Amino acid sequence: MALGRPSVLVAFDAGSVAGARVARGLRGRRLQSFARAPLGAGALVPAAHEPNIRRPDEVASALALVARTLAAPGARVQALLPDGLARVALLEADDGAVDPAAYARYRLAGSLPYPARDAVVQAEREGDGLVLAGIASRTVVAQYEDALEAAGLGPASIDLTPLAALGALRSDARSGSATALLVLGDAAYSLALQVGRRLRVVRNRRRDRSADEAVRLAREVERSARLSGVDEPVRVRVVGPGAAGLAREMAAAGRDAEPGWRIDSGVLPVEAAELAWLGGAFA
Amino acid sequence: MSRDFSTRPRPTARSPLDLTLAAAGVLALGWSSACAHRAWRESSERRARVEEARRDLESARERVVPAAAAPDAAFGRQALLSLEAPPPAVLAALASVMPGDVRLDGLSLEYGAALELQLRVVARDAAAYDLFLSRVEASPLFGGVTPGEENRDGEVRALVRARYEGVR
Repeated sequence: MALGRPSVLVAFDAGSVAGARVARGLRGRRLQSFARAPLGAGALVPAAHEPNIRRPDEVASALALVARTLAAPGARVQALLPDGLARVALLEADDGAVDPAAYARYRLAGSLPYPARDAVVQAEREGDGLVLAGIASRTVVAQYEDALEAAGLGPASIDLTPLAALGALRSDARSGSATALLVLGDAAYSLALQVGRRLRVVRNRRRDRSADEAVRLAREVERSARLSGVDEPVRVRVVGPGAAGLAREMAAAGRDAEPGWRIDSGVLPVEAAELAWLGGAFA
Repeated sequence: MSRDFSTRPRPTARSPLDLTLAAAGVLALGWSSACAHRAWRESSERRARVEEARRDLESARERVVPAAAAPDAAFGRQALLSLEAPPPAVLAALASVMPGDVRLDGLSLEYGAALELQLRVVARDAAAYDLFLSRVEASPLFGGVTPGEENRDGEVRALVRARYEGVR
């Protein structure tokens, strides 16, 4: 973000289109405004290869409402796409000279439900010979871009909510302790295990919001810790829809669990941790 | 943020403040470049002597080939592994941990330093899939079990990666 010029975030998920206007000045970033328009079930379905926007008119109306509320047309827009449409993976890449994105495309191509040439890949080195990659269908991403342009919000930069949220959560993680970073979406969730500042595991799964979700998520945290060879207690930081309630349930069961972030502002109608996409704007 | 999944190019816009800061940066860069050039001229002879010594060292290293890096050794390990862990043995091991309401939809085997498996499984429901995962993780025949992408619309279709460790 450039100094002095506000940015607009627009986030898509199965349950809503939401957004925020963030101003950045010499004193840091500040939330100026927030908007959210709910979507009916089935209007937007995050998926890897099928069309995500199933009811274009409904999504367009929601997007237009958010854009109007944030006075977004003409602003620098960053769109955040929901979990469930992209693969997020932590790969071992011993060759320090290889291009991370090309390596990730090579490693993940065989498991994609679409041709590798249709993939958009972004990857970064994480140290210890690891590469954190996100890979999405170009066709699916383009559908969101078309919706943004139709609402007067294009061209926009595109990020994935799980990657943006993980980046924000990681910057807060204390060195030396094991922390599970849970980024919840409406349709899927991402789980990363970090020890100190180093990622050990990153996993994507479809979300099951039925009863005992907190118990199942805690089990996934334990499984990830075992995979990483971590035998110390794991702190849990969770963001996304239902984060506050799930953190309370986990804490009541004896875990060190709490919402991933808190943002003091008079603008948000919900706890900031319920908005997985928002933290990246302040990291 | 340098990460961007967009599929179409965007014009780069700059505010006046950005341009002013960029101009100041260019001036600072020019001045520091001049200082660096002078320092480089003074140290060029010393760098040349160091480089010559480094080339001599690299030349000596290239004449030593570690046995473990030899291509023949890697091929030998792969061949041995394919004999000790043939596909029927792997399938039998998978059948021993698979619940009745989970089926194997696809299997790929990669014989390298270890035998890496990629399983495509279909489970009648989430509980059956979770039971399968628990059994695979608990089995001494498999290690490094990593659940991957899954689809939970009704039946569960999922990708699981693991390492076969039942080598005789």
